[in-house]
Amino acid sequence: MLDKKKATSILEKALSFSKAEQTEVLLREQDFSLTRFAENVIHQNLSYHDHTVMIRVVQNKRTGIATVNMLDEGSLESAVQSAELMASLQQPDESFVSLPRPLPIPRLSGRFVSATARSSPEYRGERIREVVRLCQKGQAKASGAFQTQSEVVAVGNSLGVRAYFPSTDAQFSVTVKGPAGQSGWAQGVSGDVKKVDINALATRALQKALAGKDPVRLEAGKYTVILEEAAVAHLLLFLGFLGFGAKTLAEGRSFMKDKIGQKIASDQITIVDDALDPRTEGMPFDYEGVPKRRVPLIEQGIARGVVYDSYYANKMKTASTGHALPADNKFGPYPKNLIFSGGKSSYDDLIGSTERGILVTHLWYVNFANPMKTMVTGTTRDGTFLIERGKVTRAVKDMRFSQSILEALSNVEMMTKELKLCPQYGARLLVPTMKVHDFEFVEGEE
Amino acid sequence: MLDPSDIITRALNRTERLNASYADTRVVRIVEETLSTKNGVVEGMSRSESLGFGVRVLKNGGWGYPASAELTPAEVDRVCALACKIAVASGRLKERAVRLAPTLRVIGTYSTPVEKDPFLIPWEDRLELLVMLNEETARTKGVTTATAHLGFRRENSHFGSSEGSRIEQTIVHSGAGISATAMGSSRREMGQRTYPSSQDGQYEARGYELIEHLRLAENAGRVGEEAVALLRAKEAPAGELTIILDAPQVSLQVHESIGHPLELDRVFGAEANFSGTSFATVDQLNKLRYTSEIVNVQADATFPGGLGTFGFDDEGVPAQRIDLIREGILVGYLSSRETASLIGRKSSGAMRADGWQNIPLIRMTNTNLLPGNKSTEELIAGTDEGLFLSGTTSWSIDDRRENFEFGCEVGWMIHKGKLGEMVKNPTYSGSTVAFWNSCDAIAQAKDWRIWGTPNSGKGQPGQTARVGQGASPARFRNVKVGSS
Repeated sequence: MLDKKKATSILEKALSFSKAEQTEVLLREQDFSLTRFAENVIHQNLSYHDHTVMIRVVQNKRTGIATVNMLDEGSLESAVQSAELMASLQQPDESFVSLPRPLPIPRLSGRFVSATARSSPEYRGERIREVVRLCQKGQAKASGAFQTQSEVVAVGNSLGVRAYFPSTDAQFSVTVKGPAGQSGWAQGVSGDVKKVDINALATRALQKALAGKDPVRLEAGKYTVILEEAAVAHLLLFLGFLGFGAKTLAEGRSFMKDKIGQKIASDQITIVDDALDPRTEGMPFDYEGVPKRRVPLIEQGIARGVVYDSYYANKMKTASTGHALPADNKFGPYPKNLIFSGGKSSYDDLIGSTERGILVTHLWYVNFANPMKTMVTGTTRDGTFLIERGKVTRAVKDMRFSQSILEALSNVEMMTKELKLCPQYGARLLVPTMKVHDFEFVEGEE
Repeated sequence: MLDPSDIITRALNRTERLNASYADTRVVRIVEETLSTKNGVVEGMSRSESLGFGVRVLKNGGWGYPASAELTPAEVDRVCALACKIAVASGRLKERAVRLAPTLRVIGTYSTPVEKDPFLIPWEDRLELLVMLNEETARTKGVTTATAHLGFRRENSHFGSSEGSRIEQTIVHSGAGISATAMGSSRREMGQRTYPSSQDGQYEARGYELIEHLRLAENAGRVGEEAVALLRAKEAPAGELTIILDAPQVSLQVHESIGHPLELDRVFGAEANFSGTSFATVDQLNKLRYTSEIVNVQADATFPGGLGTFGFDDEGVPAQRIDLIREGILVGYLSSRETASLIGRKSSGAMRADGWQNIPLIRMTNTNLLPGNKSTEELIAGTDEGLFLSGTTSWSIDDRRENFEFGCEVGWMIHKGKLGEMVKNPTYSGSTVAFWNSCDAIAQAKDWRIWGTPNSGKGQPGQTARVGQGASPARFRNVKVGSS
């Protein structure tokens, strides 16, 4: 991987080619490996090494962006020239003020773990063989993915920003299919591959699969649900897209619009974004090199704010919170290290307190049904169970739901004290298991 | 830096010395240019370029695929050694020997036929077009956001296999789209319309001539008008109705409920941990009445202009056309050399990788619902009470590709064979086989075109495929409808 000196020299070289008023260079390097298995067989096993340099230039409030994955001087210069050409062709964007100026970046240690970086196909293969042996004892079949990654992110701009951060990441997910075809699922993530307890995850998925025999079909309707962490994380991810970023607020699309300071959820709900909390394994700066700040989004049910990058911060006359995505994105600033404060209960308390409800392991194909109402649809998957009189009694066929996320957050009854870190499409969400009443299911599987 | 031919030669020699039983190498360069405007202001303008190579090896019964952006001799050697190491690790957990269905040894080239190279169109001209489209779209009072975008992609790939194939291809994709959004006064209502389709616009394997043929300017005003009109429209009804889907919506249905379930790797469980499995298991081949008998679906990688059109797939298998559904019966699958051998067939040439970094997976090519024999007007006239649906706002289908719910931008009620009032937030839902068996009419060739989906997701790590679906409007009876 590129060390700090080498990465900085690439930033400096690219910056030196630019004649624009302001220039930003984002360098990313990845060593990625993934061993994938299906029905107890390793069927895909891959690895890649890549580096990309994204150049953003600004001239008279006109912006151009070019990306290249070649680090030679000729390619960098050519990319700068492309970006300058594109910038020269536009009308000025009067909302643009400036790229960020340098600010001290907090030191975060321990995010690059050698064991993860050195993880080999043999190591991943051996861990997967252990999972398969476990499942074979239960006459079950395991499918899943075990990935490890090392990444370097370095950002520099012509105003003096210089930031460099190496990190590692390991993720394991497994779907176990039992002898009668029912399935269970589990997932874990950590920067340290040794802290991903693969056997525990496989055991959990296997238990769910074996408990899933003879599922019953439930009628459509509103139910009390126990949403395990992955399901909560999935809904929270979508809530983030719908309204935690300044772009959605500025464009009038955010559910936070005209609601800051008002109650929008149960007073049990507090959600912050905090990349500096070690539990979220975040990066201390964003893709503009601005240090991350802790941002309260919802506090005890009250809407508090959104996250900003430099563009929207300037537009809305506030300060960047350090939540810029790479410059060519269309989403605007986005919170990637969400923390959902937990409750006071244990997982068993949530189950035990439920007279009749549905236990949901995770969700699938969630999509916006009506963004203005934070309404989403999707299905349950890989471990859905009926709870009766405080006990998990039997498996349930997967069901489709149609639910407003904010309404669900207003209907929260209990949450676990324990939180789990869940990966969702590049974000990290630290969330509890949650009991919610009146969660709407519109159809059950035949 | 080595040139592609040298990389391939070196990699194949190296992997042969390392006793791989099969190897192939791809060197891929991708250039993309995108431009988007919102309300006359540039929202995004970017160019990206990526170059790298990957070596796929079969050794000791397992597969390995490493890839790298460093095109040097030492890196090729390192990647080849790693490929064999990964393959050996894979082979320690296998069930049966990997057999590859035979394919022709090919020395060939292919290039997308292009009249106007989109990369030679000046940025100023592209920008002028999009700004004009924004102005046209926003003509109607009440439009709060008018967007337009263009996207161009060129993929140049070199392929070589240990079986002696050497192939070079250049694939060009172009696309454009516009949208209008109108916000209600309470800011809790929104009307949105898009054109030509909601899937990021319309994309085809063509040059800039596509942009000129899309009639964007002619439709921009209508798009704005309809977005505003949606704010005044009543909510779509709930119940069971006959529905007619416009062609882009049929295209999305074909993609989600026919194309994806017929990816043979999915059928065999390869995607169980993420994209899911399929209800269309191989024991149902030549037996399952998947659709009504008027429905015929083909996978066709040779169809001119489709996003899934190429000369050879990423295993070097020539592009071809096969039947997937014939007169309602499931008769084929999208397959690779390995999966095809499991059902005693030859590969359907559907192995496609997203870039050089990724391993090829079975993906759709162009999944074409063949046209019927009635006009769209006849479909409407033959509907006593129903709903005509257009545009997509939302789509969701379960992990076996059965239970789905789709939301559309707009509907128009049909009363006694005539289009009536506009309705907003319409949804329809169902179960794949029952839904397709309720199809009782498909519009004719005049109303048919190939549609592009530039963002089909699958795999771990996630890959994006550019695929096509040929479709014309179609009618379905007794479908559950509602309002989101």
